[in-house]
Amino acid sequence: MGNNTKEAYEEREEYEMSILDKISDKIIDGVALFINLIKRDWKKRNQSKIQEWKLMAYALNRSPPALLGLVIVIAYIILGIIGPYLASWPYDFFPVMYNSTSRLAAPGSNVFLNVTMVKNWHVIHYTTTVHYSIGSDLFGRDLLSVLLAGARTALVLDVFIILIGPTFGIILGLISGYHGGAIDEIIMRITDMFLAFPGLILAIALSAVLPGRIQNFLNYHPFAQTLVLKLFALEPRDVNNLGKLLAVFVALIIVWWPGYTRIARGSTLTERENLYVEAARAIGLSSRTIMFRHILPNIIGPILVMITMDFGNVILTEAGLSFLGLGAVPPIPDWGNLINQGAQYFPQAWWLVAFPGIVIVTVVLGWNLLGDGLRDILDPRTRRSMEFKVKKKSRTEGGESNA
Amino acid sequence: MAGLGKFLVRRGLTFVPTLIGVTLIVFIIAYVIPANPVRAWAGGEKATKAAVELIKAEYHLNQPWYDQYLFLIKGLFTNSLLDPLNQVPVFTNIGNRFIVTFQLALFAFFFVVLMGLPLGIISAIKRNSITDMVLRILALVFISTPIYVMAYLFIWVFFIHWNLTTLAGIPPAPPHQITHIPVIDSIITLNWSNFVEQVQRFWLPGFTLGIAAAGVLMRFTRNSFLEAYSRDSTLFLKAKGVPKSRLYRHVLKNALVPVITILALQFGGLLAGTPITETIFNLPGIGLYALQSVMYLDFPALIGVTFLYAIVFVTANLIADILYALVDPRVRF
Repeated sequence: MGNNTKEAYEEREEYEMSILDKISDKIIDGVALFINLIKRDWKKRNQSKIQEWKLMAYALNRSPPALLGLVIVIAYIILGIIGPYLASWPYDFFPVMYNSTSRLAAPGSNVFLNVTMVKNWHVIHYTTTVHYSIGSDLFGRDLLSVLLAGARTALVLDVFIILIGPTFGIILGLISGYHGGAIDEIIMRITDMFLAFPGLILAIALSAVLPGRIQNFLNYHPFAQTLVLKLFALEPRDVNNLGKLLAVFVALIIVWWPGYTRIARGSTLTERENLYVEAARAIGLSSRTIMFRHILPNIIGPILVMITMDFGNVILTEAGLSFLGLGAVPPIPDWGNLINQGAQYFPQAWWLVAFPGIVIVTVVLGWNLLGDGLRDILDPRTRRSMEFKVKKKSRTEGGESNA
Repeated sequence: MAGLGKFLVRRGLTFVPTLIGVTLIVFIIAYVIPANPVRAWAGGEKATKAAVELIKAEYHLNQPWYDQYLFLIKGLFTNSLLDPLNQVPVFTNIGNRFIVTFQLALFAFFFVVLMGLPLGIISAIKRNSITDMVLRILALVFISTPIYVMAYLFIWVFFIHWNLTTLAGIPPAPPHQITHIPVIDSIITLNWSNFVEQVQRFWLPGFTLGIAAAGVLMRFTRNSFLEAYSRDSTLFLKAKGVPKSRLYRHVLKNALVPVITILALQFGGLLAGTPITETIFNLPGIGLYALQSVMYLDFPALIGVTFLYAIVFVTANLIADILYALVDPRVRF
């Protein structure tokens, strides 16, 4: 018997490894080492978890759509971080002030500028040529630069909305499902109230009424002001446009939590009946530990898939709101706002709709592909089938080499 | 059927607190949050103090919050809340526009069912083939493409290139009104020319609005079909030697149960998803009304629209639940 298990163990080591598998192994080992630095003996105690992660990575490596999604998502995140610095022209430089032909310049055109501007109380005078590789917007800004700068706006909104909204929703759902009774009833009735509104409508209503209050708040809190400006990589003079931008942010958080509460509550309700929860309660663990250390890891799978897809949905909704003229207003670079500008001049200035559109579609598609892949990977049934495929191949190859 | 009656009562009762909650949220949105819309209603910076006070008194804005809330509730349920822009009750304004939105959603729904169901079933029957892959990619692209990008693409193809649609104005309703939905009326009264006019104006916005929902339905139908296919009952039929076409008919019956409820939810979603489509195609529906009210800080109108949307949405959910209980008796208990 002992011999048998050893064989099985060894066989598992002999997976057919591609380069990707080796890379993912290295990454996971690195992460494990890193956690080990913070928590002592973590690696030793969590060998099985590391192995599980590696298997998940193998499954991911064998699903081309998910890999494509991952590549798009990573590109989006990197561009979101360094995009504003890659842009060849600052987003708040309006060539149309110096040469009106730069307004809605076609892709591939060059525009000569005779710039006179005041900087640090000095009048600066210089000439320059702007090359519009994919056209310009209403203010003569290079579309490519605005798209790059807009990646930051999209990413920051995206990440923070998803970080705050769903987290809040999941916590409420856990509390509601675990405790039951009156708490459950109150939380779920409030959730139902918010779910009664169609998301887009609630977001429109909120982003219409919120800007004034948020702008007031920002004007009285210089620290929050600088923080937000740094996050979105904006110049200090845009501070009066932040109200509308953050209104969308708050609106989408309010729209995005209730769905998660309902789902987290549902899975908590079934999970709570399991024996391990009762055991944890019997040995006197606090409710908080049981909820977050024991129940949460067991219900997080489908929620993670939903979160991944919602990264895309947030981009869609946010861009939709700024397309409608809510949220980001020029000069703040924003993909949806570019399409809003192009819409008024549609067939002529097609590039203002086409290129931001392509960018949005690509990013959302990336998140959706990744979400689909994650669903397969996190679902134990499909993952096992993928693992078996991996194993079978290595076995036959092993057989051949033996023969 | 006794179980069904009980279920309906129970489900109907949860409708009431939700409705009260909706009015509360609407109240918070429109009366508590905005800084001060009254000045804008009175005519901007130049408004006299007296005018501002008059408007404040008219909308009870100088009263304590519970009085404001009661005023709002009364206004919403008796349709006495006036739109400050044209002094017409909000729901009277909304009434005509809702017909446009409803008709738009109807067209969209038609395309959703027409594309989503068959393509989803084909995708499931030919699972893991090239056809399936192409259809799945198509569904994913449908879901991922923002509606405004899709709309401009379609306008470019169908309007500028092929000129297959009209994009201005709204065709008049047929003379005989029965359901007050123009396209249905024109079918019932066999008014062919009006029907063609309606279709010409509405098919493209409907198609655009429906395409994302069609993608969702495709995926859902495919999964539902495959889930029904993997049941033991299917295995039994296969073992019995039932021909494939009859086998699929059995599977389809089981697969369509959840699909029906999704359809009801999707109709609610289509009604709610109209603001962007109406803006692009210039249809005077309630979505456009909501956006205009946002632009003019016309909060009573915004409240009315938001409230109406919430009611429609909740009702769609309710219908979905009831449908589910009707077709699947296990849900009731």
